[in-house]
Amino acid sequence: MNLAARLKPFDTPLTLVGAVLFLALLTGLLGIPLLTRIVTVMFVSLILVLGLQLYMGNSGILSFAHIGFMGIGAYTSVLFSMTPAAKELTNSNLYPFLIPLHLPFLPSLLIAALVAAIIAAVLSYPLMRLSDAAAVITTFAVLVIIHVVLVHWDRVTNGPRTLFGVDSYTTLWTSVISCVITIFAVYLFKESRIGLRLRATRDDAYAAASIGINIVLMRWLAFIASAFVAGVGGALWAHFITSFSPYSFYLTETFVILAMLVIGGPSSVSGAVIGTLIVTAAREVLRAIENYINILQIFPGGFFGFTEVIMAIVLVVILIYRPTGIMGGRELRWPGRRRLSPPVEQEPVRNRNV
Amino acid sequence: MLELNSIHARYGAITALRGVSINVSQGELVALLGLNGAGKSTTLGCIAGVLKPWQGDILFDGASIAGKSPEQIARLGISLVPEGRDIFSSLTVDENLRLGGYILKEKAEYHRNLDEIFELFPVLKERFQQPGGTLSGGEQQQLAIARALMSSPRLLMLDEPSLGLAPALVDQIFELIDRLHQRGVTILLVEQNVDRSLEIVDRAYLMNTGRIESQGTPQQLRTHADIEGIYMGVKGQSGK
Amino acid sequence: MINLEFIINTISLGSLYAMLALGLVIIYGILRLVNFAYGELIMVGGYTLYLLASFSPLPWLFIALLAVLVAMFTSLFTELVAFRPVREKSLTAMLVTSFAVSTLLQNGALLIISPRARAVVLPQIFQTSVMIAGTSVPWRNILTILTSLVMLVLLTLLLRHTVLGIALRAAADNFTMTRMLGVPANTVISAAFAISGIMAGLVSIFWISRSATVTPALGAPPLLVAFVATVIGGMRSLTGAVVGGFVYAIVISLLGVLLPPGLLEFREAFMFVFVIIILLFRPQGLISSKTSVERVG
Repeated sequence: MNLAARLKPFDTPLTLVGAVLFLALLTGLLGIPLLTRIVTVMFVSLILVLGLQLYMGNSGILSFAHIGFMGIGAYTSVLFSMTPAAKELTNSNLYPFLIPLHLPFLPSLLIAALVAAIIAAVLSYPLMRLSDAAAVITTFAVLVIIHVVLVHWDRVTNGPRTLFGVDSYTTLWTSVISCVITIFAVYLFKESRIGLRLRATRDDAYAAASIGINIVLMRWLAFIASAFVAGVGGALWAHFITSFSPYSFYLTETFVILAMLVIGGPSSVSGAVIGTLIVTAAREVLRAIENYINILQIFPGGFFGFTEVIMAIVLVVILIYRPTGIMGGRELRWPGRRRLSPPVEQEPVRNRNV
Repeated sequence: MLELNSIHARYGAITALRGVSINVSQGELVALLGLNGAGKSTTLGCIAGVLKPWQGDILFDGASIAGKSPEQIARLGISLVPEGRDIFSSLTVDENLRLGGYILKEKAEYHRNLDEIFELFPVLKERFQQPGGTLSGGEQQQLAIARALMSSPRLLMLDEPSLGLAPALVDQIFELIDRLHQRGVTILLVEQNVDRSLEIVDRAYLMNTGRIESQGTPQQLRTHADIEGIYMGVKGQSGK
Repeated sequence: MINLEFIINTISLGSLYAMLALGLVIIYGILRLVNFAYGELIMVGGYTLYLLASFSPLPWLFIALLAVLVAMFTSLFTELVAFRPVREKSLTAMLVTSFAVSTLLQNGALLIISPRARAVVLPQIFQTSVMIAGTSVPWRNILTILTSLVMLVLLTLLLRHTVLGIALRAAADNFTMTRMLGVPANTVISAAFAISGIMAGLVSIFWISRSATVTPALGAPPLLVAFVATVIGGMRSLTGAVVGGFVYAIVISLLGVLLPPGLLEFREAFMFVFVIIILLFRPQGLISSKTSVERVG
C-alpha cells in the first residue's frame, strides 16, 4: 500500500492544512508586515469559524453564542498571561486574588479554552433540547448575557473600557499551528461517532431519536467542543490585538464569522476554510477601497460602513442562489472513490409543508 | 378531470411515492385505500400543492398543476380536507367558513353556500360564533368539510374523514359523503376503512408502499383483488 | 417610590413595549422568523424624523406620518427582495438573512448619513408636562399611551372584522392550511411585514422622543426589548405580545427601584436569563396555554 492510499482517509484535512501552510509560508517569505497581519488575523478567524462549524455544521442549529465564548477565552487568557504589574496598571479595580496569577502563554490559552468550555457546558445543557427559533433565541440570549457581564463586571474585565497592555504572543506561526491542529480536530470530530450521530439528528431528528441517538447529549458535546475552540480563538486574538473591549465580542464580530461560514458552506469543514479565505480577501479589498475614498475625502461626512454593506448584500445573494454555500456541503477530496462518509444532500425538508 | 401520471415524491431522503397513476372523472366518487404509510396522504399533498412531485405530472382539466402553489391550486377549484382536519381552532366557526369562501368572487354565492352548509350541518349554525377549538371531534370534522365546501370546489379531497371518530359519527360522515356524491360533487376519498368506503364509492385504488396495487369498482375489488391484508389490517382499527 | 408618577411612567413604557412586541410577533407568528432587522426599521423611522425635521418645512405631525410610512415601506421592501426568495429554503437561511438585512441597514445609515449621533428636532409638546392629581406627567407619556391604545383598537378591528385580518390569524394558526383555502402566501406575509413596519415607525417616534438623537446602532436596544417581551408573551400570540410588553415594563421598572446599584447594571442580563428560563419551562409564554415551541428530547 503506497503512501497516498494510506493518507487517503485524511485527504480533506491534509488538503486544507496544505493550503493553510502554503499561505503561511508564502506570507512568511514575503515578509510584508501588513500582509502578515492580515493573514494572522485570518488564521484566528478561521479557528473561530471552524469552531462554529463544529456545532452548527453538524447539528444544523444556528448559534449566536459563539462570539461570547470567544470573549470569555480572550479575557480569561489575559488574566493569566499578563504580569501582575501590568494588571495593576491597566485595571486597578481587579479582584486582588486575580493579580498574582501569572502563567506562560500556552497554559493561559489552554485554561482560557477550558473555562469557555466549562461555562458553555454549564449554561447550555438545558438549552440543547430546544430547536428552531427557541434554540436561536436562547443562544442569542446567552450572547447578550455574556456581553452584559463582560461590560459590567469591571473587577475582572476592566468594564466597558479598553483593556490594554496585553503581551503580543500570537505570531503568524502560533496562529498557523493552532489552525492546523483545529482543522484536524474539527474534521476528526465530524467523522467521529459523535459527529456522525449528530449529523444524523440534523438530517432527521425524529428518525435519529427513534434509533436511540441521544440528541441532547450529542448536541451538548459538540457545543462544548465548539466553545473550547472559540476560547482558543479568543485567546489567540487577544494576544495579537493586545488591546480590546467587550464590544469586540458582540454582534459585529458575530456577523463576520457567520458570514464566513455561511458563504463557504456551513455543513463542511472545507466550506469553513474556503469561506474564511474568500471573505477575508474580499473584506480587505473592500476596506482598502473604503480607506482610499476616505483619504480622498470625496464625502464630507466620511465613508464608513461600505465593507459591511457589500458583505451583507453578498451574504443575502448567496442565501438566495446558493443557500448551502460555496461548497454546498461537500469536502475537498483527492480524486479516487474511497471516502469516509457520503456527501450530505442539503435539500432542506420543510416541516411546515408536510 | 384529474389525472396523475406516474408521480414520484419523497420527504427528504425517504421516497414516499413510486409512480402513482390515478384518474378521477367529473361527478365520480373515487377512493384511495391502503394502510398507514402507503402514500395516500402524500398523493393528496402532491395534488394540493403542499408537496412537489419530483417526477411525473398532475393534470387538472388537461392542464398541468404539478409544482403550482397551494393557493393557485385552490383557486382552480381543488379543495382538501386534510387528515386531522386542521380547522383554525382560535377562529370562530363563522371565521373558518369565511376563509373557506375566500376565493369566491360574489357575495351572493357565499350566502348561497352558507345556507346549503347550514342545511347539511345544522350544528354549525348553533355554534356559529364559537371558536373552532371548542367543538367536539365530530363537529370539527363537519366544520372542516363545510369549510372546504364553502369554496364551491370542483374536486373535493377528503383525507381520512372518519379517523378518530366514534362509530356512530363514522356512519354519519360516510352518509354525508354519499349525499355529497349524489349532489354531483366530485370526490377523491382517502380512507383506511376499506369496508365502509367500498359501500359508497364508484371506483377505488388500493395503495401499498407508494404504489397502486390494484384498482376497479367495488365488486371487482371485492372479488378479484387480494385485499385481504389491507382489509384485515384495518378491520380491527375501524372506528378507533 | 411607587407613586402615581411611577405608575404612569410604567404604563407608558408598557404601551411602547407592547407596540414593539406586536411588530415582532406578527411576523414570527406566520413565518417563524425572528426578524433581527426589526430594530433597524425603528432606526430608519428615526432617521426619517431627523432628516425631515431638520431639512423640510413640513408640519411635525406630517413628518411623523411619513416616518411611519417609510418604516413600513422599508419593511415591505426587505420582505420582497431578501426574505421572499429564501422563505422556501430553511429557517436558518431566513434567520441569517434577517441578520444580514440588519447589518445592511445599519451600515447603510452609517454610509449614507454618519456614524455620529444626530439631534432630532422635536415639537414642543414632547418637552412639556401636564399636572395630573398633583403629579407632573410628561405629554410624551400620555401620547405614547394614547397612540398604543388607538393602534390596539385598529389592529383588533382589522384582525376581527376584515377577511385579510382573519386570514392573518388563520395563517398564524396554520399557514399551509390557510394557503390551501386559496389565500395567497405573499398577501398574508406582506400584510404582516406592513403591520410590523407601521409598529416600528410608531415606536421610533416615541423611542426618539426620549433620547432626541439618532445613531445607526439605534435599533439594537428596542430589538432586545422586543425579544424579551415576545418570549414572555409566548412568541405566537398577539395578546401575549401586548401582555409581554407590559410585564417587561413592570419588571424592568421594579428592578430599577429594587435592585442595588451594583446589580442594576446587570438588569439586562437578568432579563435574558429570564428569557432562557421561560423558553425552557414555559415555551408557550407566561399567560397562554398553547404549546408552540418545537423541542426534542
